[in-house]
Amino acid sequence: MLAEPKLKTLLDLISHSTKDELIWMNGYLSGLLTQAGVTQEAPVPGVPVATKPSVAKITIVYGTETGNSKRVATDFASKAKKIGITPKLVSLDQYRLTDLPREEYFLAVISTQGDGEPPAAAKKFYDHIHLNGFKFDKLKYSVLALGDTSYPLFCKAGEDVDAQLQKLGGKRIAPLQKCDTEFDEDANQWFASVLQSLSGNENAGAAQVTVAPKKSSGKKTYTGTILTNVNLNDRGSDKETHHMEISAEGLEYLPGDSIGIVPENDPAVVDAILLLTGTNKMAKIDYRGGLNYITELLHKKLGIFHLPERVVKQYSAIVQQEIPATRIDLLDLLKIYPVTDSNQFEDVVEILEPITPRLYSIASSPEAHGGEIHLTVARDRFCVNDEIKYGICSDYLSGLPENTTFEFYVHKNNQFRLPAPDKDIILIGPGTGVAPFRSFLAERDATGAAGRNWLFFGDQHFASDFLYQTEMQNWVETGVLTRMNVAFSRDQAKKIYVQHRMSQHGADLYHWLESGAHLYICGAKDPMSSDVEQTLLGIFETFGNKSKEAALQFLDQLKEEGRYSKDVY
Amino acid sequence: MSDNKNLSSIERIKTASDALRGTLRESLQDELTGAIREDDQALIKFHGMYQQDDRDRREERASKKLDRLYSFMIRLRLPGGFLTPSQWVAMHEVAGDNSTGVIKITTRQTIQLHGIIKSNIKPTIHAFSEAKLNSIATCGDINRNVTCSTHPNESPIHAQVFAYAQDISDMLMPKTKAYYEIWLDEEKIVDKKDEEDPLYQDRYMPRKFKIGIAIPPNNDVDVFTNDLGLVAIIEKNKLKGFNIAVGGGLSTTHGNPDTYARLGSVLGYVEAGEKTMKAVYEVLTVQRDFGNRSDRKLARVKYTIDRMGVDGFREELEKRIGFKLQAAKPFSFTSRADRYGWEQNDKGLWHYTLYVENGRVLDEEKLLMKTALLKVAETGKTTFRFTTNQNLIISDIKEEDKAAIQQLLEEYRLIQHTEKATATRRNAMACVSFPTCPLALAEAQRYLPDLLTKIEGSLAKHKLQDENIIIRMTGCPNGCARSYAAEIGFVGTGPGRYNLHLGGDHQGLRLNKLYRENLDETAILTELDGLFASFKKDRQKKEAFGDFALRKQLV
Ligand code: SRM
Ligand SMILES: Cc1cc2nc3c(=O)[nH]c(=O)nc-3n(C[C@H](O)[C@H](O)[C@H](O)COP(=O)(O)OP(=O)(O)OC[C@H]3O[C@@H](n4cnc5c(N)ncnc54)[C@H](O)[C@@H]3O)c2cc1C
Ligand SMILES: Cc1cc2nc3c(=O)[nH]c(=O)nc-3n(C[C@H](O)[C@H](O)[C@H](O)COP(=O)(O)O)c2cc1C
Ligand code: SF4
Repeated sequence: MLAEPKLKTLLDLISHSTKDELIWMNGYLSGLLTQAGVTQEAPVPGVPVATKPSVAKITIVYGTETGNSKRVATDFASKAKKIGITPKLVSLDQYRLTDLPREEYFLAVISTQGDGEPPAAAKKFYDHIHLNGFKFDKLKYSVLALGDTSYPLFCKAGEDVDAQLQKLGGKRIAPLQKCDTEFDEDANQWFASVLQSLSGNENAGAAQVTVAPKKSSGKKTYTGTILTNVNLNDRGSDKETHHMEISAEGLEYLPGDSIGIVPENDPAVVDAILLLTGTNKMAKIDYRGGLNYITELLHKKLGIFHLPERVVKQYSAIVQQEIPATRIDLLDLLKIYPVTDSNQFEDVVEILEPITPRLYSIASSPEAHGGEIHLTVARDRFCVNDEIKYGICSDYLSGLPENTTFEFYVHKNNQFRLPAPDKDIILIGPGTGVAPFRSFLAERDATGAAGRNWLFFGDQHFASDFLYQTEMQNWVETGVLTRMNVAFSRDQAKKIYVQHRMSQHGADLYHWLESGAHLYICGAKDPMSSDVEQTLLGIFETFGNKSKEAALQFLDQLKEEGRYSKDVY
Repeated sequence: MSDNKNLSSIERIKTASDALRGTLRESLQDELTGAIREDDQALIKFHGMYQQDDRDRREERASKKLDRLYSFMIRLRLPGGFLTPSQWVAMHEVAGDNSTGVIKITTRQTIQLHGIIKSNIKPTIHAFSEAKLNSIATCGDINRNVTCSTHPNESPIHAQVFAYAQDISDMLMPKTKAYYEIWLDEEKIVDKKDEEDPLYQDRYMPRKFKIGIAIPPNNDVDVFTNDLGLVAIIEKNKLKGFNIAVGGGLSTTHGNPDTYARLGSVLGYVEAGEKTMKAVYEVLTVQRDFGNRSDRKLARVKYTIDRMGVDGFREELEKRIGFKLQAAKPFSFTSRADRYGWEQNDKGLWHYTLYVENGRVLDEEKLLMKTALLKVAETGKTTFRFTTNQNLIISDIKEEDKAAIQQLLEEYRLIQHTEKATATRRNAMACVSFPTCPLALAEAQRYLPDLLTKIEGSLAKHKLQDENIIIRMTGCPNGCARSYAAEIGFVGTGPGRYNLHLGGDHQGLRLNKLYRENLDETAILTELDGLFASFKKDRQKKEAFGDFALRKQLV
């Protein structure tokens, strides 16, 4: 289809290019194409010539939660070395913010967590650059954003960083690259384009963004069959925590991983919505460039409960009514602020976001429970203006009878791994936080790991809420658990939590850490994980007689040595 | 002396226990289980507690990966079964805070609380201690709660006899201070000499030891079912002394022919005071030295005395007390029943005997007995006494206070409750059994009330509903509700199945005998219906059912 001259240029461009360059071009063009709209401004990229890069030093920073960003960043660093560029590789929580203005070539690899938030480790950096206050004169940068298209705010943190660095006067040396969960190929293309521009071709970065060509499904999904589903809490408990044993074909996971599930919406609510809006159940409507059955969309694809404020805001624009900034279920929204007709409802559907996956820590071990995945699912009960409601996914899961099936994927967490078998570990996992530690202990039991294991567990009542009590007792008997301490908050007038037990045993705890133990925290982010961290610092001060600063340093040291890992939610 | 070659494991635990301390402290500190260590489970009995678990919940909890639902039962030491009103209030509160809430009156006239979790034991004992109550030696191989005919109206000198229960109990207390150290945090005694125990030494008794005192003509305490029974001999309103009977005990073991129920043998008579105390003391030393310490099934005095022979035992005893026992004095028992309702004694004090089904004091929607008794106690104008038939006497009420108490009892319908209790129920008892008793084979207190309703149907059919027939049920052959001393005794053999015993008397001078084995409910009811029919037909006038059964050689 190309006219003679163009074809000629292309052909000898190709003939002059290395394999790597071709790969890059391929990805780059497809990127441009998927980014309709962007292409207009985008000038045709200059012809890259493979020369030794003119740049001597680059800084590669990463902000990671589960280790992916770290992995690719590290990989780039070594690639850079090979071609004679000296990389400075740092995790964003270790990065000295005062260095920023002095940076020249700055590459950031950052994932997105929560609801479009940066990883905890990148929080300081993220906030810092958003404080404005300063300007870059020589900073040249590019951002690689890791994310997951199944979340509404795809790669939000990366986008923000990219935009903000430019706002502060930074110059893009390569467009922002957003990656879905299968990110390796796109990441490499991004790095190739970075190297391109480093080797003297500046305008390569002019384009603002490229996105991975959308893959039908990035993740390997499994079909799980429920083998067992028991409520671990005894009668009379306020809690309902289900131990679930699930079998699935060709499972691959490591202790520390979680599984992700996209829960389905209650069909009854979907029907109510369609009825209320006078929408035909059989109707097919266009959602973000694809035709779908409306019922299918609302049942399996789109979030209709507890809508984020941003969606409510868009809704009020559509129906042109004042709506206070709040989170609310779609059905309630439609009842209080009705749509005019089913056409207007179609506009509403357009603004709805995909159902976000829910993660559940894997409580089993490949070594001990081959072919199975165990979960510890707390059925989330809460009260909305004194009506009892249940969390969608935990309610759905805990309600699954034996022999039923459901879809899930494995969410790797390379930041939450067992250390070498001979290392001691301290596990702090109250409530469902115990799940990954059941996996750790089962794994160490099965492999006969020599390291000592110390578990802290807590919940409300000893009699009804001691999750996995008999298993833990057996592990104490057999010596797999060297120590176990428990805290039951509501068995006495004064509340007692895991952190109280930790301080009680502070001397030993400090001694374990001093002699190389790895410490893990899993469970509720707030207030548990922060209280536990404060308590730890206190322990370092008291039993390591350290100053506040020294205590903080010791914690940082533990982080750097990968001896302090959190998986909190 | 007894064969001490292969001592039972409990013997080892006792002697190695450092005066009953064992590792109880460590056991209490174990966060991961509601249980205590195995050896400590034997020792904690000497402190008045039993480790139990809710047997109804075992399976379900196992599936939830939860340990058994362990808790502790605590039994108070109340010689003669007496509480002041303030002590009752204290009891009521402890029961509410730390236990199932049920106040359980036992067949040895004391109180038990169930369902106390490990971490609540100390608070419970502290609370008791503040009310001047303790649970020392109410279980274990040691002298148990001393019983005594309860009703102050049994005799003008009831109080005087009653005092012996207290004195004997005190005399036979263990010397160890372990209880105070472990449960009441009193600091360790320095001088071990203070703990030296000439009676129990470091081995205690070979087995539990029980003492009861009866004031004729009422044998409510079933005096002859005790290891040591004292029958008060009263002449012209003066307490002269006691006939002493040794070797009572009821428990048997299914399938173990060497075990049997036995009534005490009267060894003779001793004068009140010094000599009585001495005799009592030395009966214990004889059993301590001659009792079987290798086979616990054969360790009670009843087996010792049969091995030594009654005369042999008496000789050994006389050697130790240094004087001869006199020939037993005549006495006569007429009944073992409680005196329900109001009675006034010679001192003008009023007493109300309340019917308490199976000794369980609790609030039910139909009857707020627990609340009612709290209100009564709060008046401070009554005392509380427990009977060995698991009932309660609101006692020592002054004439001028009676109206107020009467008013409360009516307001809470306790009077109606007692009065509408049928003859059968007033004479019936069941042991605790399920869900707490670890030895239970069949239901007892949870089942007897329903069974009685059905039995009453059959009695009514034969116009026998007003007969005083003593019916007792136990969930296993240990006989905790003295089922072997009943006219109709049910002894649990397995879920829903009971051995049927017949032929006991009203006075407690005769045990019943096995009549039919392993009956389920229908079989029980058909058997009884037949028996009642022929009883109605062939009884001689005023003949009691138990006597009839015997005369007819049914057993
Ligand atoms: C509460 C009570 C029954 C009641 O409903 O009132 C009772 C309840 C128990 N008895 Fe008993 N016995 C009770 C009076 C009796 C009696 C009747 C009596 O003493 O007048 C007997 C028959 C007389 C005798 O001792 O021979 C009795 C013979 C036993 C035995 C058999 C002893 C033996 O010689 O083999 C056992 C089992 C044992 O000790 O090994 C036993 C054991 C038990 C235990 C502690 C079970 C155990 O060993 O773990 C029961 C606790 C159940 C619970 O959950 O409360 N209980 N027990 C009585 C408490 C009396 C007290 O206040 O001390
Ligand atoms: C790494 C990771 C590991 C995890 N591991 C586990 C685990 O092992 N076990 C486990 O049980 N959980 C685990 N979780 C938490 C789990 O992923 C879910 O967050 C949890 O189950 C709740 O999801 P849900 O769909 O049931 O509740 P949702 O429906 O998402 O509701 C969650 C919360 O939102 C609010 N909410 C929802 N709807 C409304 C409404 N209509 N009105 C007002 N408020 C509302 C409520 O506060 C509710 O508690 C983990 C999470 C992460 C990130
Ligand atoms: C709890 C949680 C929330 C997430 N939220 C988002 C999100 O809002 N947007 C997004 O694009 N990706 C989201 N992700 C996907 C991660 O960004 C993706 O897994 C990435 O590969 C993680 O990289 P890391 O290991 O370097 O942290 C989320 C992942 C988790 C575990
Ligand atoms: S008789 Fe048996 S079942 Fe009943 S309380 Fe005694 S030991 Fe338990």
